[in-house]
Amino acid sequence: MTVADASAVVDRDTRTTVVTRSRHVPGEPSMWFFVIGDLFIFAIYFVLYVVYRQQQHALFLSSEQHLNQGIGAINTVVLLTSSLFVALGTQTARLGKARDAMRLFVFAAATGALFPILKLVEWLPELGAGLTPGHNLFFMFYYVMAGLHLCHVMLGLVIMCFVIRDLRISKAPDMKFIEAGATYWHMVDLLWLVLFALFYLMR
Amino acid sequence: MTAYLRNPLTIVWAFLSFSTVVSWALSRDVGGSAQMSALVTTGVLLIAAVKAQFVIRYFMEVRHAPAWLQRTLNAWLILLFAFLLGAYFAGL
Repeated sequence: MTVADASAVVDRDTRTTVVTRSRHVPGEPSMWFFVIGDLFIFAIYFVLYVVYRQQQHALFLSSEQHLNQGIGAINTVVLLTSSLFVALGTQTARLGKARDAMRLFVFAAATGALFPILKLVEWLPELGAGLTPGHNLFFMFYYVMAGLHLCHVMLGLVIMCFVIRDLRISKAPDMKFIEAGATYWHMVDLLWLVLFALFYLMR
Repeated sequence: MTAYLRNPLTIVWAFLSFSTVVSWALSRDVGGSAQMSALVTTGVLLIAAVKAQFVIRYFMEVRHAPAWLQRTLNAWLILLFAFLLGAYFAGL
């Protein structure tokens, strides 16, 4: 959606001015097939993880005790905060305030970049203690799924850099591209919420 | 700045962060009881499902999307958490 075909209205529930267009697909509809496909593929891994976890309950339960729950929780809030900046940035870009939107996306990228740094802080002591992917089935699942998710985070950060570039140099920011980038980043956040519950919180 | 703080998205973020801390606190020091573990796991997964629904509707803006997209993501969420809880309780 471009700024031109957007309409600013007052949301009756929240008394804030929001830009809406009835039944709008954020980003490109074709991009959603990739997002939905990715969500379903991860869903299969998630369910398989619980099936194996229940088959080898004692092993998984004792292995889970070695994870750093604190870093897992902080990383969840880190991604949620980054997602908030992206969502606010998208709304702001839609209102035509490219400079403010760019600032919000820079905050989003900076917050999002904390995630891989914290992952390193989490993983290095674990790997050093011999808890490698080959240690047991739990750690194989843990590193493969969290590693796959980390690849999504890195790609999301690269996409965010392109969004920032577009907002900085373009006179008329490409809303479709910004929305597509935002949707991808929120998907990364969404997948982590489930991963966090499965690996760190299940008992 | 205050406009951002009063934005519904910021309120959603506060709820999501708060429920992250709640679910983390829930899962600590569960003890050895199988019933308590099952209760905590159910709680943790239900909180995750609610959080996922908020991310989908508010951050991904799916609440303003066409019905096909809303239905697809609802189906993903319901199927995923039904299978997760089903696999958990089937394996107890």
